[in-house]
Amino acid sequence: MLIKPSINILVVENDITILQRCRELLVNEGHRVRTAESVEEALDIIQKHSGNVDIILLSLELPGWGGLTLINILQKAKREILIMAMSADCGEEAIEAMHAGAYDCIRKSFTTDRFWTKMNRAIEAFRLWRQLDILTRQRQAALTRIPHEENLMAIFNSITDGIVVTDWQTNIVLFNAKAATLFGLTEEKTLGHPISVSIKSDELLSFVMRAVKSDSSLAPLMAGEEPVVKVEEKAFRVHVDAVKNDTGTVIGAVGLFHDVSSISAMDKLRSDFLSMVSHELKAPLSSLLMQVSVLHDGLAGELNPKQKELLGKAKEKTKGMITLVNDILDYRRIQDGKSVQKIESLNLAEILQRTVELMRLSAEEKEISMKCEIEEDLPSFSGDRGGMEAIFVNLISNAIKYTPKGGSVNVILYKAGKDIRFKVVDSGIGIPPEDIDRIFEKFYRIKTEQTQSIAGSGLGLSIVKGIVDAHRGSIHVESEAGKGTTFIVSLPVEE
Amino acid sequence: MKKVLLVDDDVDFCEASKILLESKAYEVVLAHDGKEGLEKVRAEKPDLVILDVMMPEMNGYDVCVILKADPELNKIPVILLTAVDQMIFKTTYTKHMGLMTEADDYIAKPVESTELVKRVEEFLGKNS
Repeated sequence: MLIKPSINILVVENDITILQRCRELLVNEGHRVRTAESVEEALDIIQKHSGNVDIILLSLELPGWGGLTLINILQKAKREILIMAMSADCGEEAIEAMHAGAYDCIRKSFTTDRFWTKMNRAIEAFRLWRQLDILTRQRQAALTRIPHEENLMAIFNSITDGIVVTDWQTNIVLFNAKAATLFGLTEEKTLGHPISVSIKSDELLSFVMRAVKSDSSLAPLMAGEEPVVKVEEKAFRVHVDAVKNDTGTVIGAVGLFHDVSSISAMDKLRSDFLSMVSHELKAPLSSLLMQVSVLHDGLAGELNPKQKELLGKAKEKTKGMITLVNDILDYRRIQDGKSVQKIESLNLAEILQRTVELMRLSAEEKEISMKCEIEEDLPSFSGDRGGMEAIFVNLISNAIKYTPKGGSVNVILYKAGKDIRFKVVDSGIGIPPEDIDRIFEKFYRIKTEQTQSIAGSGLGLSIVKGIVDAHRGSIHVESEAGKGTTFIVSLPVEE
Repeated sequence: MKKVLLVDDDVDFCEASKILLESKAYEVVLAHDGKEGLEKVRAEKPDLVILDVMMPEMNGYDVCVILKADPELNKIPVILLTAVDQMIFKTTYTKHMGLMTEADDYIAKPVESTELVKRVEEFLGKNS
C-alpha cells in the first residue's frame, strides 16, 4: 500500500457526536486532526498553527458566526486551506458556501463510504493543489532568475566606463562592451589571455598584480586619487580592486576604466592657450618697458624734469602691468592658490609706498584723492615679495576702479596685535549684499549698470585670497552699496 | 668694441635695446628671425648672441642647437630670451628647454634695462 503523507485537518462542528465521528474516521486513516466548536475557536487554531491546517471540515450550522463567515475570512486572507462544508441537507447554504470557495459539501447524515468518497476527493484535490502551487513557485523562481542574469549582462554592457575582470593569474575572464570598444577586445583574442596582451600599460599591470596578490589584511590598494593611466593615445582614470569569493580569498581583479582623454586634451588646450597669451601679452610689454626705460634714462635725448617724472611713472605702471600679467599667467597660483614662491624678510611699508606711488597717477586721472598712512616702525614680514605687491596692486586698483570721479581712497598699514593689517577704504559704489560672498570666486564679476564699463578679468580678488591664505592670513570685507567698501588684510608676523 | 647680436622678431624691442646697449659702449647688430640670426652670427662673428625663443622662420632653440653644434661658433655665449614663463609647464617648450642646457644663460621677458645690461656685462665685462 502506498503510504501517503498525512494531512492536517481541522474539524469545526458544535454537534459533539458528529465532531467525534469525523475525528475518529480521520484519525484512523492516519491524518492529524484538530477540532473546534465555533468559528472563533477555529480562527484561533488557524492563527496559532499557521501552515499546519490543510483542510477544514466545516459545519454550516454553527451558532454565532456561521461557517460562511469563516470561508469569507479565509478567502480574503488568501489562506491556502481547502474547505469541505458539512450541512444537514446540503441545500441553499451549501451552494452559497461553494460559491464563496468551499470545495464540496457533505451531508451530516453521512455513511462511512459516503464520507470517504467525498473526503478522499477533497484530499486528492488538496494534494494536487499543493503540488501545482509548488511547481508554480519553482517556475516563477526560475523565471525571475533567468532574466536576472541577462539583465545583469545588459546592465554590465550599458555602463559607460570600461570594465575588465581577470582571474588570479591576470588572465581576462570578462569584459563589458565599453571595454571592448576602448581596447579592441574580442572574445577569441582576449578571453583567457593575460591582460598585458590586450591592454598595454605596465602601470596598469602593476595595479592588477597588486590586486590579485593582496589579501584582506592589506590596506586598501590605492588611497586617495585614482591614478590616470595612459594606454596608447588615450588617458584613463583607473580603479583596480581585488575580486574576492565568499570566504574572502582573492580570485581575481576587476578594473574600471574611465576615459579622461577629453579632459586631458582640455588641459593641454588650456596650457597651450596660456603659453600663447603669455607671449602675446608679454612681448608688447617687453618692448614697452625697454622703450620707456631708454627714454626715462635719457638715452634717446635729454629730458626736462616733468618729462622724466611722467616717464618714471609710465615705467612703474608698465612694471605693475607685468606683475599682473605674471599673476594671471601663473597657472598653478590660480589653480590652487599656492603663491608663496620665495619667502624673504620684507619691509611692507616700503613695498606699499612704491605701489601707492605707482597707482597715484590713475587715481589723479579720476580726481580721486588718495591718502596713505603707514604706521612707523612696523616689524618686518616674512613673505613673498611678488605676492605682497599683487595684494596691494589688486586691492588699490580695485578701489580706484570702483570709485567714481572725485571720491577718495585711503590706504592704511598698521600693526594690530601679532598681525600687520593692510586696509583699503574707498568711497565707491560698494558691493551689493547678495554678491559679497562670491567676490573671491574666480571669474566672478558683479554685473550692474555701474560695473558694465569697468574692465576686469574677475581674477584679482581670487588671486589676493590665494596669496593671503598661503601666508596664513585672512581677508575681510565690509561694504555698503553706494557708500563704499573696506578691505582688511591681516598678515600674521612670525615670532 | 665688443659686439652683441640681438635676435628678436619684435623690432621695437630690438631698437630700444640697441640704444640701451650702445649707451654702454657695445656694438649692437640686429636680426629679426632665426634664419637671419644664424646668417648674422656667421657674417658678424659677435662676442655674444641674445636669442629670442619664439620667432618666425626658425625658433631660438633650433638656432641655438645649430650654433652649439658648430665647432667654429660654439664658443660664442648664447643668452636665451623668452616670454614663455617657466611656470607654464608641460608645453613643448619645457621639452626644448631640457635639450637646451647648452645655452649659456636664460632671461625671462619682460626684462628690466638694468638687468639686461648686468647680464651682458657678466659675459663681456664692463666697458666703462
